[in-house]
Amino acid sequence: MDELRSRQLKQKLGLFWGNFGLPLIFILIVIVFSITSPNFATSYNLLSNFGFASYVGIAAIGMTFVIMTGNFDISIGSMLALVGVLGSSFIPKIGGVGGVLSTVAIASFLGFINGIFVTKLRIPAFITTLGMLYVFRSLAYIYTNNVPVYISDRFWLYFGNGKLFGVIPFPILLMVICYLVAYLILRKSPVGRYIIAVGTNAKAAALSGINVDNIKILVFTLLGLFVGIASIVNSANLGAANPGLMGQNYEFQVITAVVLGGTALSGGNGSLGGSLVAALIVTFLGNGMGLMQVNSYWQLVATGLVMIFAVSLNKLKFYLLGQGE
Amino acid sequence: MVRFLKLYEKIGIFILIVLASIFLGIATPNFLKTDTILNIITQGTYGAIVGFGMVLAITSGGFDLSVDAVVALTSVFLSILIPNIGIPSAIIISILISCFIGFLNGVIITKFGVNPLITTLSMATIVRGVALLIANGKQIPISVTKFTVIGTSKFLGVPIPIYIMVVLFIIFYLLLYQTPLGRHISAVGSNENAARISGLNVVFIKIIVYVLVAFTASINGVIRTSQAMIGIPSMAPGFTLLVITITILGGTSLSGGKGNLVGAVFAGIFISMVYYGLNLIKVQYFYQLLSVGLILIFALFVDGLRQRYLEAARIKGIKV
Repeated sequence: MDELRSRQLKQKLGLFWGNFGLPLIFILIVIVFSITSPNFATSYNLLSNFGFASYVGIAAIGMTFVIMTGNFDISIGSMLALVGVLGSSFIPKIGGVGGVLSTVAIASFLGFINGIFVTKLRIPAFITTLGMLYVFRSLAYIYTNNVPVYISDRFWLYFGNGKLFGVIPFPILLMVICYLVAYLILRKSPVGRYIIAVGTNAKAAALSGINVDNIKILVFTLLGLFVGIASIVNSANLGAANPGLMGQNYEFQVITAVVLGGTALSGGNGSLGGSLVAALIVTFLGNGMGLMQVNSYWQLVATGLVMIFAVSLNKLKFYLLGQGE
Repeated sequence: MVRFLKLYEKIGIFILIVLASIFLGIATPNFLKTDTILNIITQGTYGAIVGFGMVLAITSGGFDLSVDAVVALTSVFLSILIPNIGIPSAIIISILISCFIGFLNGVIITKFGVNPLITTLSMATIVRGVALLIANGKQIPISVTKFTVIGTSKFLGVPIPIYIMVVLFIIFYLLLYQTPLGRHISAVGSNENAARISGLNVVFIKIIVYVLVAFTASINGVIRTSQAMIGIPSMAPGFTLLVITITILGGTSLSGGKGNLVGAVFAGIFISMVYYGLNLIKVQYFYQLLSVGLILIFALFVDGLRQRYLEAARIKGIKV
């Protein structure tokens, strides 16, 4: 009897954590920072934070898909910089709309290349994308000669600084649209089921007639597309595309968000909503520490600790639910 | 094809070196001087030394992305400790601290069951942050001139770092191929479950591997700091990529179980030749980064191709 009861208790704990853990952490963070720094809880700071969170959140949506198939992409920070400098440098020739479209197209293509390397050559994703991380970054440097590309096109800048009804930052709307599209793909289309099947058991998926390679290429391409959108948001926020500064540590923030959001690193089902809430947590933590004037080196240490903490928490959840990762 | 790939596995890197030598020999008359060659080999040792540790990690089926940060941490500790407690104890303590970081990596990976990539990536951020914190973001000059001996002086006309590499090579070679521990590392890398069932202490073996990787990274930090005579918290950016490239180009298979230490030495020298060639045509630093990234992707391409063909051959029943 005792054993049964303890198992039930464990399950309850696991379910509670799975449903309410993240929002609770988020609320806790907002409360703590509101008390410690008076500038935190202003509507201006909170709204602009939601805007910044979309920069992490949009890519986190794509990364959720990739991690669900049991892969990683650590090249997205460099990809963000490369497509940002490429797209923004095209603006004088093809206009703002063309620049935005070309950025998204190039990013999707880079994601596609990552997918081809991972599937057709069977190179583990993290090491392919580790190589790409350096290739993309150095191409961004070489293309711009390490000079930032300044952006004055109003259409492009609207992606980062535009406000709906004069209040809500446009990136938030963008993130919501991305989320809805991803949600429909994942929960309402066969592709979503295929992605989950590939992540849960690639062999079984292949035997039941799913083209595993194509699904993997698709998720990498999707991630590229989302990174392209995030790149426009980010460069518009900063007013320039900087080949060296854009996307530093970006892959780290995004993967932390996805893992903290409850997606298992070993693949299988994932949580898009969890990734978004976790992206908020990661962004608010950074902003709060900045407002408290925490030394930026401490912030570096903290991001690393949060990542390990997030993975361990995930392990704990799966252990409590008796699923084992 | 199978025979060709088998051959490539053994001597591919030598072919690359010969080709690079011919190319450089034609491109510049300076290349064929003893000084130049020794210089290239010395430059190659830095990556190769850490490559030895990485060979063990990848052979055990793991991975370590924190080596560049460990190099920086060693450098900072050396610059702080040397004026206070003397050179030998400073070196020993710095290396021990690095080994402790490797130990932490191993514990988190084995005991918490966190993926090695995520663990060491996080550890890299943490360690880099700690190095910057300790040094307060500044570079710390070292005024004890004796310390420069390790990185810059020569014995019998050969630079000291080459001796260090040779000694480490012998140790790691014996460890990997001649001791039970080495066989156990390979066993864990080929099939972890089988290794566990046959009674190997997988946790212990993995922790040892990560300690050894951090140890080699720390040695690299000592040599670099001795050459620069400055403790640099931002030392060695992008070095991890170089080390992994050397390891895989040297023929260590990503799928685990098979380590190639000899290959790592020559891959280190090959990369050093590429750098030398790039310096000749006076391109910017970014091109070095690009070249290493492209070489890694090339090496991965070959490794992937090799595995595909060997697998296909195995299915057809050809003995490999």
